[in-house]
Amino acid sequence: MHSSHPLDPQPDIPATQLNALWTTISHDLRAELGHSTFDLWFENFQLRSLSPEEVVLVAPGTIYAIWVEENFKSSLLSSFEKHLGACGRIRFEVSVAEEEESLAAGEGTEAIAEVPAEERRQVNPRVLAETVSERKLLELGRAAGLVETFRFDNFVPGENSELAWAASRAVADLPGKTYQPLFFHSACGLGKTHLLHAIGWESLRLRPKSKIIFVTAEHFANDYIDAIQKNALVPFRKRYREADLLLIDDVQFLGRKEGLQREFFHTFNRLADRQKQIVLASDCPASEIVELEDRLVSRFQWGLGVEIHRPGLETRAAILRRKRDDWKMQISDDLINIIVERVRGNVRALEGALIRVAMVTTMSESPISPEQVVEVIADISGGQETRQVGVEEIKRTVAEHYDIDVQIINGKKRTARVAEARQIAMYLVRTLTDLSLVEVASAFAKDHGTVIYAVRKVKKRCDDSASFKSTVELIKRRLVRGGSAMESPRAVRGQYPPNPRLGANPLATGPNEV
Amino acid sequence: MRFQIDKDVFQDALNQVQHVVSTRTTLPILSNVLIEADELGLQLSTTDLDVTVTKRVPAKVGETGSTTLPARRLASIVRELPTSEIDIEVNADNAATVRSGPSFFKILGLPSSEFPVIGEFGEAKVFTIDQRLLRDALRKTSYAISTDETRYVLNGVNCIMGEGMLTLVATDGRRLAMVEQDLEFPAGQESGVIIPTKAVNELQRLFENSGELKVAISDSQASFELNGSLLITKLIEGNYPNFRQVIPGQANYRVTVEREVLHSAVKRVSLLVNEKTNSIKFAFEDNRLAISANSPEIGEAEEIIDVRYDGPRIVVAFNPEFVMAPLRNLDQDEIFIDLIDESSPGVIKIDEPFLYVIMPMRVAN
Repeated sequence: MHSSHPLDPQPDIPATQLNALWTTISHDLRAELGHSTFDLWFENFQLRSLSPEEVVLVAPGTIYAIWVEENFKSSLLSSFEKHLGACGRIRFEVSVAEEEESLAAGEGTEAIAEVPAEERRQVNPRVLAETVSERKLLELGRAAGLVETFRFDNFVPGENSELAWAASRAVADLPGKTYQPLFFHSACGLGKTHLLHAIGWESLRLRPKSKIIFVTAEHFANDYIDAIQKNALVPFRKRYREADLLLIDDVQFLGRKEGLQREFFHTFNRLADRQKQIVLASDCPASEIVELEDRLVSRFQWGLGVEIHRPGLETRAAILRRKRDDWKMQISDDLINIIVERVRGNVRALEGALIRVAMVTTMSESPISPEQVVEVIADISGGQETRQVGVEEIKRTVAEHYDIDVQIINGKKRTARVAEARQIAMYLVRTLTDLSLVEVASAFAKDHGTVIYAVRKVKKRCDDSASFKSTVELIKRRLVRGGSAMESPRAVRGQYPPNPRLGANPLATGPNEV
Repeated sequence: MRFQIDKDVFQDALNQVQHVVSTRTTLPILSNVLIEADELGLQLSTTDLDVTVTKRVPAKVGETGSTTLPARRLASIVRELPTSEIDIEVNADNAATVRSGPSFFKILGLPSSEFPVIGEFGEAKVFTIDQRLLRDALRKTSYAISTDETRYVLNGVNCIMGEGMLTLVATDGRRLAMVEQDLEFPAGQESGVIIPTKAVNELQRLFENSGELKVAISDSQASFELNGSLLITKLIEGNYPNFRQVIPGQANYRVTVEREVLHSAVKRVSLLVNEKTNSIKFAFEDNRLAISANSPEIGEAEEIIDVRYDGPRIVVAFNPEFVMAPLRNLDQDEIFIDLIDESSPGVIKIDEPFLYVIMPMRVAN
């Protein structure tokens, strides 16, 4: 582009052919818009280049480019589509010669500034409209690492994911302009990955030319290691640092990997400087990722951090109805209600339950009864329905284990033993209940920073010491198995129906299990 | 710092400056109004770093000093205060106590040292004009400013001063409004700048019915001094496109119509505007104008008004909002619609140096 004369066609399609196509299109436009309109607006336009992604037209002045784009884009698009089958976006460039001439010939009143010609030509290289065929889109998406089935139109937003959903749409519409970075965190199977992919697909659909990369942090790490081994860091960096949209899943994987973090830090900065969008997903808030450098934590917290919660009853029902319709299953709403009442963990478990019920339905002669449904999904619901454990119960169990008084856990005493018990209690409350950081903090009469620190500390110690880990596991098993007469706060508040299968599966662990 | 001030004076001044404060700002200090008290009275300033407004008001200052207080909160408190005299005292920690009759408020502020210093004005071109002139010209053009942020040069009013003329233009690619006023500028003071939308809006709040306006223009900033207020704004960088290329030449037909009659007729008919095309039809024939809307799923509307027109029948479709915008902002009783044919841009004119180009929409039949 820089070396060629602005009006030179790209070498792959000869100028004569481009001119011939433009003549044909002009003919169409004349017929559609009328001679006077065509002459008024399109007279000095030229077709400069053509590729599957974009059509570049040269306008005789910026104002013509703007005016034509605002008023005639649909006519232009349909005419190109008619002759080319499909048409990418239409982009306008402004011819330097014409623009300068019109400036000089104008009333001499234009704000005249010394802008280099190359820059001026790019005054308004703006996307007019983009249509990209589904086939092309799939091709581009797969190359970017996107999974075909994760789109916005099959994501079911609910009260648990409203904010994440809205933020994803905003980021796909205006990448780099709204939330930088966008950071999702949630337990597994609640839709983080789905949203990441959906942002990728939507961005591709709107801007087929943009460079989109979806990777897991692990994949990023492997690429990095590969690059080091092959002594090919330059192409690695080029690939990631020149992306328009970088989607990274499972960023918690960066934890404890210093070299990788350093590399990622520079990638992040580079993209942020260029106002390119970064979207991250993790199974915990940035501040809780183990051994993540502070400078990365603070960068991850720059933009918008959104937690996706577990879906409520209505959302679970909406998700399953949607799946049923997508998969064309013959399952009544009543049966779906039975499933969602019993399976309340992540979406994958819900889908599994639905598939089982569908299988039984197709195999049995008579319609499946609600009792049968309960039976068929029994083990899934048992596994998913972690006993709702209460804060007080956790404190008490931990205190029992350490043989200290419960009041001491709440107190200010900071001997090693008490501090350890307190941290484990905080960690367990954080992982076994749905309470937010702030709620946990207030339950212990501490601030939320203390809770973050405690959770991090316990995780690290679990990793470092097998005996410590087994202590934590032991307490956790005791809690999950139940055996305490204390009511959980959730049950008291009546948020969930009483669960007939309380603690049925002794090995069940919370969905936030680390 | 301690002062006593009249409630209405304070309220008016706060109203004029508080709109600059952005509702969602990253810097808390930008939500605050800078209050500086000297022997002569108060000076109130707000800024969003792009636009800064400063207003002087008389007050009985007991002790000079400065602080910053949350602008919107202060304005809403002052609005509700029961008496006409307000006493305000600010301590060293920037906590302000506001007393008015039986009411007492304590508002926590931030030190004035944190308030951003407005950049030094470089070498500037300075001139003075009648403020009514700019007020009317802005009012007649600013509604056509583009809101499309990807075309940032169009996100403001292009203001050209020179050749014995003050020219203001705004366009969004589908309509264009221009005022061209005879005005002699001192030699060497000619310039062309793009004033951003926010500055235009804030400026319109500061105008009064008479008085002078002192304008200073540098490379990247402009300032407007009027009625004891000062507005400083960054200018939009870039070249405004050559808008004259879209102003149609000689028209074939001219329709004369009463502005208010046309406005209210369009307003009524547009209630049934076709949501798909967002257009309504204007059929001119035999001194009559039939304005109609037809929306397949909703229904239709038609209104016929008297106009002066003796040419052949012409049917043009326009976006009703684009027709109403200039009608709302003009005050002449009569306007002219100049037409070339059914698909060329129409032009609305008045008997003053103003024109409004509007693109017709294509109609199916």
